[in-house]
Amino acid sequence: MWQEYSIGLLLVFIAAAMAFFALVIEKDDLHRLLLLDLVEVPSLAIIALLGTDLAEALILPGLVVGIAELLALSQIYVTKEGLRERKVQGLNIEVIQADAPLIISVLLICYGVILSGFTGGGVAGLGVVFYFMARGHREHFELLEMASGISWAIWIFAFFVFMFIPEYWLLALFMAAIGILLKVIVKMSLVGTMWGDGNG
Amino acid sequence: MGMDNPGGIPYFILEFGDELVYFSPYTVSLFILALVFTLFAVIAKPERQVDIVFGGDAFYAKETSLAELKFRRFMAIACGFASMGAMVTGDIFNFTLFISLVGICNVGIVAAVKNRHVQNAAYQYGIVALSATVPLFGAAALIAATTGTLSMVELWSNAALAVPLVVKALLVLGVMGEGMAPFYAAKAEMFRAPGAPYVIMCSLSSLLIFLRVIEVVLVI
Repeated sequence: MWQEYSIGLLLVFIAAAMAFFALVIEKDDLHRLLLLDLVEVPSLAIIALLGTDLAEALILPGLVVGIAELLALSQIYVTKEGLRERKVQGLNIEVIQADAPLIISVLLICYGVILSGFTGGGVAGLGVVFYFMARGHREHFELLEMASGISWAIWIFAFFVFMFIPEYWLLALFMAAIGILLKVIVKMSLVGTMWGDGNG
Repeated sequence: MGMDNPGGIPYFILEFGDELVYFSPYTVSLFILALVFTLFAVIAKPERQVDIVFGGDAFYAKETSLAELKFRRFMAIACGFASMGAMVTGDIFNFTLFISLVGICNVGIVAAVKNRHVQNAAYQYGIVALSATVPLFGAAALIAATTGTLSMVELWSNAALAVPLVVKALLVLGVMGEGMAPFYAAKAEMFRAPGAPYVIMCSLSSLLIFLRVIEVVLVI
């Protein structure tokens, strides 16, 4: 097992070195931002190499911190370069304007609901994001935010059930799975509708 | 306790299962420093920077708008909380997370200033901070891989658990990238941003995490 870990570590360090080298020779700011994503991956891969439950618990905060920094940096880039906001009215491609987004989104959402939990939320959320991106949007954000808040509360409540009345674990499990599913879907669809919006 | 802790014997150790927070004389004094400066950031009003026109009596007074003030004050307070967390945590991974949070907040404190030079400096600094997460999280993961624990108390009380020197070096490198003073001061443009109490939070947090990482490296 140690053998495999060492080889994996070596590969990750090679990947990190390549990404850093690219970062050094690249001079364009936007390209640097994109390359940073490449740098982020090895840092998560080192954690993932642990291959235990602990690694799974550590990757999530690591990923969140990375995404937060990336979002902050891209926002600074937009302000720094003085880029104007453009209204995006859906993608102007023939296939997208037909029924394709609807079908693909429905498939993704169904699959996501079957998966349930965090992964399912991600898959279903991707479907919703894709639909919003393809169609443009006129949604009530407050409603989506409220749904997100309520599902988060369900998720937290389920954890309290686990802690204080463990004999109802099955109910808590379903509540937690559905709560996180809804929350991730809503959060991702909010991300999908955010672009081009001034107050987003 | 098998080995001595250079930071003094902890007054008490607060445990949340595996994660823990410990208050030794050293960490408590750093914590109080961070707390005091966070309170300063809460109550202080921003400075009004004045540029004197060379060779005349005229001057420009730079106003800080209310929206900008609110955002920067929020970021400074968040930075204070992140530093406080980094000062007392006894878990290596939480320590690295708090450090990267300090990095984001430092960028945020200056990024609200609508000045192209300041924004450019903040952007470049953000790139350094983001790429520093590789050695930072890498060090935490390698510590878990070589010793099987992330708890600092466990690492210093059990003499059998030795962290390799390379891993310690990676940890220091990561903290340096996230906001240690020498790198930070090189970005002089960032300090050109008006609004004194908030920019001081950047320097103070980098000083604090510098002092804490010395303790961490000596302890583990």
